[in-house]
Amino acid sequence: MLSKDAIKLYVLGLSLLGLTAWVFFRENRMDWTDYQAEFKEFVTEKFGAERAAQVPTGIQQIWVKDLDRVDRCITCHQAVEWKGLETAPEPYRTHPKEILEKHPLTAYGCTSCHGGQGFSTILPDAHGNVEHWEEPVLGAEVSEAYLIKNSKALMEMNCNSCHRYDRETKGMDYINTAKKLVEQKDCRACHTINGRGGIIGPDLTFEGEKPTEQFDYGRLTGRHSVFAWQVAHFQNPKMVSPDSVMPNFGFSSQDAQALALLVMSWRKEPIPANYISGVQLRDVPTQEEIEKEKRMLEGEGAFFVQNKCFICHSVTSLGVDSAAKIGPDLSDAVTDVQSRFGRTLDDFLMEPTGTMSVVLATQIPLTTEQRQQAIALLKVAYQRKLEQQIKNASPSPMPTGK
Amino acid sequence: MATELISETKTRSTLLVMLRDKLRLKPAWEKLTWTWRPETKREAGDAIVRNFVLHWFPAKVSLESLSWGYSFWLGTISAVLFLILTITGGVLMFLYVPSVERAYLSVKDLEFSTSYGWFLRGLHRIGAHLMVAVVFLHMVRVFLTGAFKNGRKAVGQNRPLNWIIGVALLLITLLLSFTGYLLPWDQLAYWAITVGTNIASSAPVFGEPTRFILLGGTTIEQATLIRFYVLHCFVLPLATLWLVSYHMWRVRKDGGLACVEKRYEEAKKEERPAIASKTYSLLGITGGTAVDVRNVMVDDEKDKVPSSPYLTVRLAVVTLATLVASIVLTLIVKAPLEEAANPAVTPNPAKAPWYFLWLQELVTITTFTIGGFTINGALIGGIILPGVLVLAAVLWPYFDKSPVSSIGRWFPKERKWQNRIFLLIIVAILILTFIGTFMRGPFWEIYMPWQEWEQTPRKF
Repeated sequence: MLSKDAIKLYVLGLSLLGLTAWVFFRENRMDWTDYQAEFKEFVTEKFGAERAAQVPTGIQQIWVKDLDRVDRCITCHQAVEWKGLETAPEPYRTHPKEILEKHPLTAYGCTSCHGGQGFSTILPDAHGNVEHWEEPVLGAEVSEAYLIKNSKALMEMNCNSCHRYDRETKGMDYINTAKKLVEQKDCRACHTINGRGGIIGPDLTFEGEKPTEQFDYGRLTGRHSVFAWQVAHFQNPKMVSPDSVMPNFGFSSQDAQALALLVMSWRKEPIPANYISGVQLRDVPTQEEIEKEKRMLEGEGAFFVQNKCFICHSVTSLGVDSAAKIGPDLSDAVTDVQSRFGRTLDDFLMEPTGTMSVVLATQIPLTTEQRQQAIALLKVAYQRKLEQQIKNASPSPMPTGK
Repeated sequence: MATELISETKTRSTLLVMLRDKLRLKPAWEKLTWTWRPETKREAGDAIVRNFVLHWFPAKVSLESLSWGYSFWLGTISAVLFLILTITGGVLMFLYVPSVERAYLSVKDLEFSTSYGWFLRGLHRIGAHLMVAVVFLHMVRVFLTGAFKNGRKAVGQNRPLNWIIGVALLLITLLLSFTGYLLPWDQLAYWAITVGTNIASSAPVFGEPTRFILLGGTTIEQATLIRFYVLHCFVLPLATLWLVSYHMWRVRKDGGLACVEKRYEEAKKEERPAIASKTYSLLGITGGTAVDVRNVMVDDEKDKVPSSPYLTVRLAVVTLATLVASIVLTLIVKAPLEEAANPAVTPNPAKAPWYFLWLQELVTITTFTIGGFTINGALIGGIILPGVLVLAAVLWPYFDKSPVSSIGRWFPKERKWQNRIFLLIIVAILILTFIGTFMRGPFWEIYMPWQEWEQTPRKF
């Protein structure tokens, strides 16, 4: 009995050793190790061994904290930011440069535009055409399945997450067309979109959020997908849902695809406001403030408004009113400068001291001509002030008694 | 020369010890490593007698107890699986984040970027499923062999109690698996726990409060996740460890595995004169009033072998075999991870964990409509029926009046009807589990295994 057990023990021990080796091998021979080795060879051939030595090894990732994304795509797509591999085969091709300039990798990652599963370091899972992952890479593979001519068109759906409120965005032809169609056909007659529109049809503001299970695919031939449903529905609403009262607009298949992408882009996913195109994140002056500035620009004191003197100084006699009034009113600068600094206005403005020297040296650099212009205008301002004083001092007409 | 040296060192060390005792000094390392020191020899002896680890195995063990075919070593396998789960789980605790925001992402990281993360998670998952199955099979074995019955009137034997502890351990195993099911925070987890806790809530009076306490509210959210996490990683494993220790200690207290009982029966038949000279009761070691304790002696030399190496080697074989089998399954079976949990989207069909699917089936079967009146099956199928089954399991040993000769044997004639009823229940549970797992498709319709389900809709 003991010797038999001993044999079992040896056999099991050896199999455990074998399994350990297998686990070790599997851990250290992932898809990406092959791609990285191949890329190194590729770089050696093209640029020499020195360059190849700089290629990083191991899992690479871009962590975009703001978008809560971890994209490990660059583990295999190592050449994304390289120069000189623009025509190399994938996954070793350089990413088109222009778009990356406005959308740096560190701020956007890869999957926020391309789709796919950023976590993954295994090819099929990463490209996302797998069970339990609804955001595949929106490229050639999916485009071919839906006979879309432009293989980059699908990606516009993701672009529109941030460009949602643009009327038109450069390079987003499908979405631009769709947005125009929304205006032309006046979808808002029946549907509410972004808080504006009718109530005959369903609110479409978050149409892209509707789960796959909530569509009726019963009358759909071919692939059961939200995209297929939306396209079919745009082309013939009654065919997909017989009770629908939506008119058939006779959209071409390309228009229907564009509209499907647009409505599917209307999602609820949280995006930081600074990522959303067209959203102003700054203090905007009120209408009143804007009008006041406009009025002052048309008056005699326009110079002081244009050159931002009015931020600190009012020039009351010329109709310039500073909100802050940090400095003295410049209406009587002619006499005021004399009493404050013991110098003439002309002299002072040409070679200022104190605060004014700092302001004129850093924030408001005036040329000599501009300074002379200022001096002349300040003299006019003093003139006006005196005139106004005389006017106010003269007896006003007696009020007629009751 | 040599003896002189020894005696010299002896004197010296005795002197040192005396000095130390006089000064009541203890070496620093002793103070740090050993806080308790027996004051008397009796105390020291007691400490050895009470030590569980030292008495885990008997000095000698009968050959039947060691056989593969009697017990299939299912209890041992369960313990080994628990060990595997504890070790892998311990490492996973460093890598998993129990927060609604990060839980799913940390499991994705395990799967794709943590070194050996896929293996750890896979092994932990397979180990958990195996443990549920093996603990269940262990219970089936114990019932079918009548191993919950007391045999000879031995001192302190109480096998029914150990059976009840076993039932408790099965329930805790299910709870351990159930609490672990939620942690990945994917759709599978979220909806399995929804179904499971909804069934629990249909219990009268206590149902809703139980669900509320378990979830930490009315919906499965962060409060639920952290509760399940603490239960899964701390409370339940600790309870298991404690109960398993007691369970094993009881096996020894009950005189070993039930299969040895028949030896005592045979020995009785041989009518060897019983040795009737021991007076344990006087010594206060045993209860009862009889001074004369008659004992049937079984010839140790003839029937038993030393535990070491016979038992220890087999234990090593079972441990290795369990480990090898778990690893092989880990490498073959892919651990699923669905979409992140989404309370707004109910998967179709939404299923409880597989070991609760027989309950979900029972709920379906017991839900029916008479006229305009619908009977909710959750109470009957989800609470009353399983409750009755657990209660029956607990009480069964006390109603089992089959003779002692049926103990520790597979399919004894004397327990034919008991075993038939038990097997009927087991087979019913297995069939319902099979239907629930493999035959329930969208809208909880029956699909034959060869019938294709409706195409699962996708986004693209």
